[in-house]
Amino acid sequence: MNTVQAGLLTAVTFGLLSALAALLIARPARSAVVGVGIAVCGAGALVAGVAAMAGQVAWFAAPDLLPLSGVVFAIDPLGGAFLAVTGGVAVATGIYGIGYCRGGLDGRLVQCMLPLFVLAMMLVPAAAGVGTFLLCWELMALTSLLLVLAEHRRRPEVASAGRWYAVMTHLGLVAILIGLLIFAANATDSTFAALRLAGHHLSPGLAALIFLVTLIGFGSKAGIVPLHAWLPRAHPEAPSNVSALMSAAMVNLGVYGIVRVGFDLLGGGAAWWWLLVLALGALSAVYGILQAAIGTDLKRLLGHSTTENMGIVLVGVGAAGLFTASGDLTLAGLAMAAALLHIVNHAAFKTLLFQSAGSVVHATGRRDLDYLGGLHDGMPRTTAAFGIGALSASALPPGAAFVSEWLLLQALIHGLPAGVSATIVMPLAVAAVALTAGLAVATFVKAFGVGFLARPRSREAECAHESPPSMLAGMGLAAAACVGLALLPTLVLPTIGAVAGGVVGSGDPVTVTATTIALTDFAGSLSPLLLTVALVIGLVATLAAARALATRRAAREARLWDCGAGPLSARMEYTATSFAEPLQRVFDDVVQAEQDVDVTHHRESAYLVEAIEYHRRVPDRIERRLYEPVLAVMAVWGRVGRRLAPGSVHRYLGYGFYSLCALLILLVVTR
Amino acid sequence: MSTALYTQLLNLVAGAFLLTAVLILWRRELTAIIDVFALQGVALAALVGIIAVAEGSAELGAVAVGVLILRAGVLPWVLRRAAASAGVVQRETKPLVNVVSSLLAAAALTLLAYAVSQPLVELAPSPATHAIPVGMAVVLIGFFVLVTRRLALSQLVGFLLLDNGITAVGFLTATGVGLIVELGVSLDVLLVVLVLQVLKTRMREAFGATDLDELRELHD
Amino acid sequence: MNAPSVYGTVGVILQLLIVIGLSPLLIGMMRQLRARLEGRAGPGIGQPWRDLRKLMRKQRTSPRGTSEVFRVAPLLLVATCLVVAAVAPFVTTASALDPVADLFAVVALLTLGTVALALAGLDTGTAFGGMGASRETTIIALVEPTMLVAIFALSVPVGSTNLAAIVTSGLDDPAQVFSPVSLLAAVALIVVIIAETGRLPVDNPSTHLELTMVHEAMVLEYSGPDLAMVELASAMRLTVFLGLLANLFVPWGIATSGSVPVIAIGVLAFVVKVAVLGAALAVGEVFLAKLRLFRVPELLAGSFVLGLLAVAASFFLA
Repeated sequence: MNTVQAGLLTAVTFGLLSALAALLIARPARSAVVGVGIAVCGAGALVAGVAAMAGQVAWFAAPDLLPLSGVVFAIDPLGGAFLAVTGGVAVATGIYGIGYCRGGLDGRLVQCMLPLFVLAMMLVPAAAGVGTFLLCWELMALTSLLLVLAEHRRRPEVASAGRWYAVMTHLGLVAILIGLLIFAANATDSTFAALRLAGHHLSPGLAALIFLVTLIGFGSKAGIVPLHAWLPRAHPEAPSNVSALMSAAMVNLGVYGIVRVGFDLLGGGAAWWWLLVLALGALSAVYGILQAAIGTDLKRLLGHSTTENMGIVLVGVGAAGLFTASGDLTLAGLAMAAALLHIVNHAAFKTLLFQSAGSVVHATGRRDLDYLGGLHDGMPRTTAAFGIGALSASALPPGAAFVSEWLLLQALIHGLPAGVSATIVMPLAVAAVALTAGLAVATFVKAFGVGFLARPRSREAECAHESPPSMLAGMGLAAAACVGLALLPTLVLPTIGAVAGGVVGSGDPVTVTATTIALTDFAGSLSPLLLTVALVIGLVATLAAARALATRRAAREARLWDCGAGPLSARMEYTATSFAEPLQRVFDDVVQAEQDVDVTHHRESAYLVEAIEYHRRVPDRIERRLYEPVLAVMAVWGRVGRRLAPGSVHRYLGYGFYSLCALLILLVVTR
Repeated sequence: MSTALYTQLLNLVAGAFLLTAVLILWRRELTAIIDVFALQGVALAALVGIIAVAEGSAELGAVAVGVLILRAGVLPWVLRRAAASAGVVQRETKPLVNVVSSLLAAAALTLLAYAVSQPLVELAPSPATHAIPVGMAVVLIGFFVLVTRRLALSQLVGFLLLDNGITAVGFLTATGVGLIVELGVSLDVLLVVLVLQVLKTRMREAFGATDLDELRELHD
Repeated sequence: MNAPSVYGTVGVILQLLIVIGLSPLLIGMMRQLRARLEGRAGPGIGQPWRDLRKLMRKQRTSPRGTSEVFRVAPLLLVATCLVVAAVAPFVTTASALDPVADLFAVVALLTLGTVALALAGLDTGTAFGGMGASRETTIIALVEPTMLVAIFALSVPVGSTNLAAIVTSGLDDPAQVFSPVSLLAAVALIVVIIAETGRLPVDNPSTHLELTMVHEAMVLEYSGPDLAMVELASAMRLTVFLGLLANLFVPWGIATSGSVPVIAIGVLAFVVKVAVLGAALAVGEVFLAKLRLFRVPELLAGSFVLGLLAVAASFFLA
């Protein structure tokens, strides 16, 4: 039994045991036992994934377990990468969940679904047959749906979010089902190995159809525009550890599907497919971060940020595909390595961000940034954790995402693909990535600065207390991962580079030394560790110089500048809405916020104003333009259909009878 | 038993089977409908019994006895009790399709059943398979009763006709129908009848009558 | 990573000394030039150093309600400028830390400094701090595309974003300087520098009206040594940006070997180039008024188009 098999066996055993324990154990110990179980399961998956990336293989086939297609699992390096990411996220969220779920979320159903969700997410990259893949995918969707609905008794919006999620994930499943079944119909049987062999002989039109249909399904799961509407609805309403799992582990599987079907099973494909993927990725990145920059709900902001990051990953994947199609394999490997590294980085910092957001919600009960603030006093560790996550997410050095975006930019600027259209695409892609980086900086400055710094803006923020130790431990694990990936990406890059090279068929796209990342075949190197060390030395030197040269008098506390009018109240602080207002104005054509101003005049005179109420809503423009017409058409269709169902039992029975007779007559006549 | 006797008996019983179905369409009183249904149960049991004797299978004989008890005994008894609890003797006064048209429709359905069943008969010609169109016709007539009758109990009888026809076709095509399957189907039917019974009682308590046409008002 | 050579280390020390020592003088020279052109006597070139000395002697104040972020931000700002001054090729092309001397890394470091200041502005909890932070982050967000596309344009002829490589290729091929790619990229970068360092027409560094402030509003609450660090840092940022502009486009005079006269010429060339660019900027500011905040995106969009054209030109003329 090799490491991969051992790891997977541990993971599956502990996952199933935790699910069983959730049903049997009494409430006081339930969340602790399940949390530990999920952590061990995640650790097993992490070990198995890393071993698989290093080249060990494992497979498992049980042809009779499922009717018609059987169950077949096989792990290759690409699947191992996603398995490892899921495992890592599960470890951190498992420990976090011990403290978070105590209280309202330790019901039997929720605690049973958590390990099953993790298991399903682990098994999707391991599936090696169409039936197995769809089974695990659907299991993942169902368990996550039940988890999203966990708090539906406490808040009515949860039900609506659950409905959106259910409908969109199942429409995605139908698309993937159709695509994979068309593929399997043109192959000898439905295992991925057979599909791989058949993929080389498909006609271009059929291959394009399969790719496009599966892109719809997988893109929806990854939260890509225009099928992203479920993400900003489901993530805020789900419990925070579930949001972390969904954002950091589940949406990656959409990207996994695209890479698996496009690169592996269909064998690369035409350039225009990848141009489409790149365009969708760039659009999602810009749109997602714009919505995040303008929003004030902390968890919805993080959900939109997930759309943005998945968009950046798809820009990398699309670039890799474009370079493969034009024959530039080293660059393709570089772009794919950048995409995979960004997935790893995103998993680390998104877990941390959702965990700290959950910590804030746990302590204050509020999600709206406009009512938070001043949390650094009562929750210093959570503030530090969110700060680390925000630094990583904003793609600034010494954050984690800086390295992956650097790699992506290097891949994009070195590409000189043939064709005038591609010449326009690369600079626009660089511009899109740059715009998202700038807006991401704005978003996370807003989230961290308004949410955690300055003074509290509401009573709940004033009374915030620090989270329990298990939640802090979970956050600590994720923070350690963020910091490790930021300073020492050289530890993971060789493996990720090898996996990326394997996917596109090139050699290692990056060479690493202990501290430096260097590009193979191109001049360019980066050392995040040295950069951080230099920065720290600079800080220390500045501090020393300042202490030495400045006056020896002790610091005194002073009043903030209030123009002499008296102490500043919390109402005078800048809120998230006001912070984002210039951006909202600049992007008004895209955002189109709706504003209402209600002025209440004084009873006795219309010239005196008693109160002014200001409401601002930022609707999702893509939803309004794309979804509402579709929903309107369905409503009309439903109304027409109502005329078919007036309530008479006879009529319903009659439909059945008359259609049966008609069919039989048809049978007789056409024989 | 000789082949000629077998064929004659089989045709006789099949004819009785079909006739009872047509009679259900013809009679108006609920009690009469239920009695004719019981007779059909006897005919079905006889059909199975004849096949059992021809095959020399004791298992099939046991099934025949079971069918007799269930479809000629238990089910009509349940239906009679349901009809009696209504109090006044009910009559099917205004079916959706009047009696004359119903009978013509029954004839058309029988022809359709014959046309559709031809390939089945040609697959394995034997006296048993020649009777398959009868089973199909009873299925279609049962469906027709289900669609066009107003009283809940008449509809239930139509459903049971449907099931009788399916059972007959089953026994005629494959002479060795598993006991388990027959048992399962029968239990299913029993369950349906009981549920519909309960539903009917509840509906009467809530709305006063079970003339399903009056229940159109329920829809939104 | 190779150990830095002697002349590399010497170069780093010289660069740091020049940037720290002479950047306030650059600011002073610019102010003096503006004053003279506007018909005033002017305070003299050494005034910024006198201001720094005065601020260092004042008592440090710490506003009530602020956190560590407020206290650390000036340090971080100065530290990022120091790192960039140390690694970028100003006096010599041999960088002490070659893996850090990547153009993307350098501009990202400078952005980190601005972000620290924006967070400090938000940390004060005053309306002015928030306003300054909000405006500054909007400008950063809109400047990023232009900056990265201009870097893209610069890297295409060279095949790398390593600063030393770009400067060396400029030295090797003088005609490249006058190509359309360079000129367009230079104009785009000039607009970027004006936006990043907060000069007219994007921001007025000498305004007293809080509602017209961008950078000054963020640092309104700083006083004493903290304010001295912020002022020094903004002077260093301007020097660093102008130095990058000078050496990326007009690299002659930079030291490529280790002998003393070459290094001396390198120092002199750097000082002269930055002084000339600073003087040109000062003269230009005399004739410009500050743009309304919501006209700034138009300016940045225009520079973005120029950057995009630069990239397209580099592809077609490659």
